[in-house]
Amino acid sequence: MKNRGATILAIIGAALLILPLVVHDTFVLRVLTEGVMWIGLAIAFDVIAGYTGYLNFGHGAFFGIGAYTIGILMMQANLPFWAALPAGGVAAAIVALIAGIPTLRLKGAYFAIATWALSRAIQQLALNVEFTGGPDGMRLEAFLNPQFFYYLMLITVGGTFAILWYLLERAPFGLKLKAIREDEEGAKALGLNPTKLKMQSFILSALPTGILGGIYAYWITFIDPSSTLGDLVSDQAVVMVVFGGMGTLFGPALGAILIFAFKTIFWAYLSDFQLLYLIILGALIAISVIFIPNGLWGTMVKRKAGAARPQQNAEPVSEPAALSAVAAPEEGN
Amino acid sequence: MAEPILKVNSVTKCFGGLTAVDDVSFSVEKGEIVGLIGPNGAGKTTLFNVISGYYAPTKGSVIFQGNDISGKPPYDLAGVGIGRTFQVVKPFAGLTVLENVTIASFLKHPKKADAERHAWQVLETTGLADRANVSAAGLTLAGRKRLEISKALALEPSFLLLDEVVAGLNPTEADRTVELIMKLKAQGLTILIVEHIMRVIMNISDRLVVLNFGKKIAEGTPSEVSSDPHVVQAYFGEEAA
Repeated sequence: MKNRGATILAIIGAALLILPLVVHDTFVLRVLTEGVMWIGLAIAFDVIAGYTGYLNFGHGAFFGIGAYTIGILMMQANLPFWAALPAGGVAAAIVALIAGIPTLRLKGAYFAIATWALSRAIQQLALNVEFTGGPDGMRLEAFLNPQFFYYLMLITVGGTFAILWYLLERAPFGLKLKAIREDEEGAKALGLNPTKLKMQSFILSALPTGILGGIYAYWITFIDPSSTLGDLVSDQAVVMVVFGGMGTLFGPALGAILIFAFKTIFWAYLSDFQLLYLIILGALIAISVIFIPNGLWGTMVKRKAGAARPQQNAEPVSEPAALSAVAAPEEGN
Repeated sequence: MAEPILKVNSVTKCFGGLTAVDDVSFSVEKGEIVGLIGPNGAGKTTLFNVISGYYAPTKGSVIFQGNDISGKPPYDLAGVGIGRTFQVVKPFAGLTVLENVTIASFLKHPKKADAERHAWQVLETTGLADRANVSAAGLTLAGRKRLEISKALALEPSFLLLDEVVAGLNPTEADRTVELIMKLKAQGLTILIVEHIMRVIMNISDRLVVLNFGKKIAEGTPSEVSSDPHVVQAYFGEEAA
């Protein structure tokens, strides 16, 4: 099973690597590059939202901060791209550190609201200060090489995926984060320092997001407060992860592919109905929360394992035997 | 007599105007089981929370193995050898039983494979090994209480705080848990236990500390305490005494 998974991953990876050699259509390559970017944004978002249980509605701020950092360093400090790129990640991580001190004390909806407000504040800041270009945005020196950006995005996202997979699925770190998500007070008794773990998780989520923002800025060559710091980046990440399956890496990746494919098709054929896209996005998040709370991937994995987790608040002890049997049909297999 | 493993020195804990624990002192010797009893609202769980680092004492201090631990956070206390369970059980509901215990095992076994192996051993001891891959949400109350003990034990503590691990269990389950506690004592663990079920607490405790309205009203062997007029009064009222 594990070997088959690795084989499938290797095949997908190889296919993605040779794709630009076969496909020469710039539009297709551009769509693929952005699709890969969204996979990266979704899995990075899931570190804090899915594994740690802190729904960050300001994920887009890290993306925008990365984009603007690269823009400013390249255009105003005349730094080469490769020197500016790591700074994008570091800047996002520093903002996560500073923002995390007050916001990570909050829970549930309060954290979501605080991070959303913070990202709005950062967007307003970018609109009103001079060195960002204000509402006019910022134009970067153009480097028109679609293959270059495709591979850069692919390597960055692939590397992020590998590092996150090791940290969250192989090393103890992932389980520790899940303990925080499930019960912070209970986790403390087991020697876990929630403040430290949440901070590490938030930074781990922000760092690759900032780098992706930087690559995006150089690739698209034009950034403004609404494209990189707007609601849409955060909102789309939330929908992708919730729809795909929180607390896993494959779920958000799957969600990113499906939502992004849908968006691309929608934009291509129904570009006059952009408002409709947002409505559908909103409906989709409501539907997935109600009908597939574990997301697509979580639901698929559970089906396969044949051991559906009993309802969240099931109190098997007080239930008649027949009821708990319904709640957990093949429990223990 | 050797230095006691735990010394509670005139601990007071206030919440606003309410004094939940009022100038309580007692000590626990290495290897003994001390029962903490008292009517509802006597301050037992509050005192537990002070000892395990969840609350800082308003006054007084807690000395563990010669070190002042008052006000240290719970995650540091797990490191020095204090394990605790919660009266209102706190399973990581979305994770399996094995994962729940593995997280605790990380404290002494930082590598995941080692921690998992250790968690299996703990589950064998506590009798939950056959439920290892079940989601913690799918356990019965008895199972959840056992999981609480398993997690505390996986920390390899020298001192264990058990908060009502027997209450709510049927007699057979209760007997199994008592058996487990006696086994842990035989292995050299020191235990401070809060329990409402007198049959259990009277049998397993070497000594009892009795709280009422936040104050210590008696201390001694189970037979001394059960004939103490203050204790009888606290439990049965003025006339019985």
